[in-house]
Amino acid sequence: MSAVASNVETKDIVIDEVFPHAVEVIWKALTSAQLIARWLMPPTGFEAVEGNRFTFKTNPAGAWDGTIHCRVLEVAPNRRFSYAWKGGDESNTGYGSALDTVVTWSLTPVEAGTRVRVVHSGFVTPKNDTAYRNMSDGWVKVLQRLDAVSGEDK
Amino acid sequence: MIDAVPNSITIVMRALADPTRRAVFERVFESKEISVAELTRGSGVTQGAISQHLKSLKQAGLVAERAEGRNVYYRAAPQGLEPLVTWMDHYGVFWRERFQNLRDLLKEIDP
Repeated sequence: MSAVASNVETKDIVIDEVFPHAVEVIWKALTSAQLIARWLMPPTGFEAVEGNRFTFKTNPAGAWDGTIHCRVLEVAPNRRFSYAWKGGDESNTGYGSALDTVVTWSLTPVEAGTRVRVVHSGFVTPKNDTAYRNMSDGWVKVLQRLDAVSGEDK
Repeated sequence: MIDAVPNSITIVMRALADPTRRAVFERVFESKEISVAELTRGSGVTQGAISQHLKSLKQAGLVAERAEGRNVYYRAAPQGLEPLVTWMDHYGVFWRERFQNLRDLLKEIDP
């Protein structure tokens, strides 16, 4: 998947499974605040209305207080439901680094029930692919160099 | 690489000067994600000592931690790779767990 800017690339997490339940039941589970609290996380301010903002609270990290800021993007009853999912902080690396993604649920009735697909999209690769490769090689070199240095100390 | 970022290397090497701490880091580095209990197993030192080493490694920015329930998991933290690797791993696990939760809930409300 390519983003608009030529030097930015994003990756997605996709999970796709068939559930033995009618599409209406699954839609209810995906769009009811009470039920979301039970299978996903307790939401604050949730309403399945386009444009509505809501939050989840998870483990904080560094400058990030752990709040995931969401906004409903699309509501197509029994078919499609998506929301922006933003968290983290620019000053963090790793868990808690800045995150600007979208979660999209797609429901498709099938003979055995309903196919449920979630796409969590927008995970940005490092801004500079060269930096990505350099850091990957760099860590191996750091460890190799430490081997050499450690050997000298003996 | 090494010449380009002398400060980072100095910090890394200082944090890894202790042979036990370095061994801990190498195990974290070799793992996708690893818990304190797993690190303690076969290490020959106490879990408390492992936790102290991980604290030092974390302060040096060499490992990142993720809490899940009562467990804490560690991974190596190469800066350039970290945002992608950590977030995608985190959410890959997160959504698989949520799918299972959803499956369980649906069984309960719509048997």
